[in-house]
Order: sequence, then structure tokens, then C-alpha cells
Amino acid sequence: MYYSLTDFTLLRPPTWVGLGNFEALLKDRLFLKSVTVTLGFVLGTTLPVWIISLLAAAVFFQRFRGRETLKVLFFSPVLPSLVVVAIVWRVLLHPNGILTTLLRPLSGLGEINWLNDPTLSPITMILINDWTIIPFYMLIWLAGLSGLPPELLDAARVDGANWFQSFLRIQLPLLRPTAVFVATITTINAFQGFTLQYAISPGRGGPIDVNTTMGLLIWKYGFQFYRMGSASAVSVVLFALIMIVTAVQLLWSRGDQFSLN
Amino acid sequence: MANPPHVVAKQIGTGERATFLEERLRKRMRSLVWFTIALVLAVSFFFPLYIMVSSSFKAEEEVLTTPIHWFPEKFQGLEQYRKAFEVVPLLRFFFNSALMASIDVVVTVIFSALAGYGFAKFRFWGRRFFFFFVLSTMTVPFQILLVPLFIEVRNLGWDNSYAGLIIPGIMNAFGVFMMRQFAYAIPDELLDAARIDGASEPRIFWQVVFPLLAPASASLAVIIFLFSWNNFLWPLVVIKDQIYATIPVGITVFTQPHSAEPQWAVAMAVSTLATLPVALLFVFFQRYFIQGMVLSGLKG
Repeated sequence: MYYSLTDFTLLRPPTWVGLGNFEALLKDRLFLKSVTVTLGFVLGTTLPVWIISLLAAAVFFQRFRGRETLKVLFFSPVLPSLVVVAIVWRVLLHPNGILTTLLRPLSGLGEINWLNDPTLSPITMILINDWTIIPFYMLIWLAGLSGLPPELLDAARVDGANWFQSFLRIQLPLLRPTAVFVATITTINAFQGFTLQYAISPGRGGPIDVNTTMGLLIWKYGFQFYRMGSASAVSVVLFALIMIVTAVQLLWSRGDQFSLN
Repeated sequence: MANPPHVVAKQIGTGERATFLEERLRKRMRSLVWFTIALVLAVSFFFPLYIMVSSSFKAEEEVLTTPIHWFPEKFQGLEQYRKAFEVVPLLRFFFNSALMASIDVVVTVIFSALAGYGFAKFRFWGRRFFFFFVLSTMTVPFQILLVPLFIEVRNLGWDNSYAGLIIPGIMNAFGVFMMRQFAYAIPDELLDAARIDGASEPRIFWQVVFPLLAPASASLAVIIFLFSWNNFLWPLVVIKDQIYATIPVGITVFTQPHSAEPQWAVAMAVSTLATLPVALLFVFFQRYFIQGMVLSGLKG
């Protein structure tokens, strides 16, 4: 915290600049851009991950042959580190890569510039990131589903509800704590997006900084330009953002609960 | 004229049999539908990792060809793996990662068990305050701590060394929290009985409490290993020399810059090797793995 109020380049001892670093940030176009980049990444992560992981959990909660094997395969993207993920996707998304080749007949345009196109590139980051975390949140949902008393489902079936009705009307409302948990944790983690952008976006955060998240900016200021004061100031703003958004989420979900009771 | 009684009975019999078969068929169909959806999900999510492993056995020119080679046609055996050890000091990276992960695991598990047991079973002045204090460190994202932690480590002269790499990550509030939950479940009578038998407090911990916490410790160990093995940001900033680099930091040479392309088959071999320990852990300790992940709510 203290360093955010100083001018500190590691070579000289920190000098006090008061709120100077924060003032500078407000005029810093790279910082302002990183805030929008981060918010975009958070939006692209939270809601899709929440929905898809829930649906996947609903599928793997059913009984069918081969379920355990398929679940293990589905879960596998959670295992590799994000650097490995970056390397593998660099191959898949290479202009001659397998995914690009597979999608060529669909796109009709020939070349898809997954990583170098300023519009497409942030979406690519979100796709890759969602791929690695959806199976994990599926597991969280699944644990929640398994914790519900099975009598409720049996009762619903006797009353003639199909799986969709019982899912929507019985299981989902009871899973409120899991729902809030998944929403807040995905948000907190997405705000800290760093490794993927660092590893796979051209020139660490490019093209033209469309992938420079606040996490990446902390690293750039602190460990590329050795501006520890600026880096700390970005950290403080990031922390404040995470706190505010999480608090709003928690209050909102609790307010909801009160209105239901 | 009404059917004689035995004919009626027969008709009911076949009718019931028909609905029974129909029901079974419906169940079969339903399970087939779920299976198909799950298969699509599993295949699409596993696909990139299949490409990773299969490409590591291909010849270099086979990785990026049209039409796609779904299987290695010029099967290379372990040739790409052998090359991988020449392209980067992979053995050194593995050693560093293993060193960091094993110290992290052992220290975290033992101290978390000790602290968790203490918070759960002993009353002392400021207990609630200290526990709250420990918990509050859990709510601060690591990126916020990055700069101050780095400066502190640098002031200690630990940057670019094993000490700086390992020591800051050695304790973990989550472990304390998790162990406290499990230690709560240990009945007080058991501890009192041991005390009456004259066991010393350290002995009670090692011979009574710790064995009871073993399953929880296993889950914690697995999750700490995963986190430590895949940890990236801290090793990235604290380590300057390749000799101290862990695997994720060491293999970033395969990610940048985009102007220079690595040997892709070798890159896939390296990726496969880097993932192998975690994959093995997952296969053999699936139960602990999943429990640890669900409890921690963290993806490394």
C-alpha cells in the first residue's frame, strides 16, 4: 500500500509523492485501456462459465454408461498449467493449425487471425480461458447437486415432473449457495487474468494492448519498467475494483434471498 | 360375450409386459441421449490435449499440415522427447519444480494441521482475532501482494534464489482454514483420554490427531502440489537465472515472441511432460484430488 504513494524504481529509495501516482494513472491511457480490457475479460468469463458449467454438471449428474470415463476426459483441461495451455493453443490456432484448418470451410474467409486481430484476439483469450476453467466449476456444481437430498427428485418424478422441470424448479433454487460461490470466485479470478495474456498474446498484451489486463500492467510497470510506485497504484485500484464488485454481488444475492422469504 | 377369466388374465399379462419393455426401452433411450451429449462435451474439451499428446509423437512437418494428420503417420517414438531435453534444460526445470512443490506440500500440510488443530481445540487469548487475521490474508488476491512481496524479498537479498522462490509461498491460510474444519470433528473425549493416559501434547498431535487428519491432509497435499507445480507469476518475477526457473517459467520460451516459431513437436513433448505429474496424481488420487479442488475453490 505504502509504495503506491511513492516514486520507487528500486535503484533509489522511495520518495514520497502522495497521490501523484494515482493522478498519473487517471491520465495514463494504457491504464484506462487496461481497465476496460479487464472488465471485458471478466464479463466474457463469468456469465458463460456460470451457465455452461451448470449445464455440463446437469448432464454429468444423470446416470448413463461410461459416465465416469467421459467425466475424466471432460475434466482434463483443468490439469495443465496455463503456460502449457498457451503453447498448445498456439499450435491449434496457428494459421496452419488444426483448429484453423477445421474451421476454414465454415468461416469461408480463409485466414482467421485468432491472435493478431485486435477485435478477435480478446475473444480468443476468453475462449481459451473458459475452456480451462469450465470443467472445474462443473465439478463444484456437481458437488452441490450431489449434496441435495435425493428424495426431493424422486418426489418430483412421482408427481410427473420431467428432468428439466425438476432441474429448474427444485435443484437450481436449492443450489443458491453454490451459484453465489461460482459467480464470486469466477469474478475474482477473472479480474486477475494474467498468465494467458502474458504467454499467448503477441508481444505480451498485444496487439495494440487489447489484451493488457490490469494484472499484466502491474507486471509491466513493476518488472519491465521498474516503476514500483505505478505498479502498486494499479494493484490498489485492482484490489478496490475486486472488493466493490464482490461486495455488490454478495449484497445482491442476499437481497434476493430476503425478497424470496 | 365377455372373455373367459383365463383369457383376461393372459391379456393383462402381455399388456404389463409391453409397458415394462416400453419403460425399459425409454430408459435405454434416455441414457443414450445423455451419453451422446456427454460424449460431445468430453470430446470437445479433451480435443486440445489429445492434439498435444499425439503431436509430440509426430515428425515436425506433420504438426501443421493440411490435410490434418489425426494420428502420427511418421511415428517418432520418444525422439521429440529426447530433443526436448536438448532444446531447454528441462531436467533442471523439473528438479526446481519438484523441489519447490515438495517443500510447499510438506511444510503446508504439517503446519496447517498444527495450526488448524490449535484453532479448533485450544482456547487461548485472541484466538478469534488471530483466526480472523489468518482468514483475511486469504481474501487478498496474490497480484495485489506481488510488488510489496517482491520488494521485501529483495531487501532480504533473496531475489533470484531458492529461498526467494520457495519461502514466501510456504504457508497458506487456506490450509489452516481447511484443517480447522476437519480438526473440529475430532471428539474431545479422544484427546482427553489420551491426556489421562499421560500422553504429552506433541505425542497427542502426532499419534492421535494427525492420523485422524490424514484424509484431509491428502486432499490438501494434492491441491498444494497442483498449485505449486503450476504456479507462474511469483517464480516469473523472483527468478532471473534459468538455473532456478521452474517448469512454467522455463517453458515460456515456447510462447514468445510470435515472430520466431519454436519446433512445434518438441514444444508439444515439453507440454506433455510438464502436465504428466499432475495427470498421474489425478488418475491415482482422484478422490483426494476432487475433494481438495472442491474445498479450495481455487484453480491453480
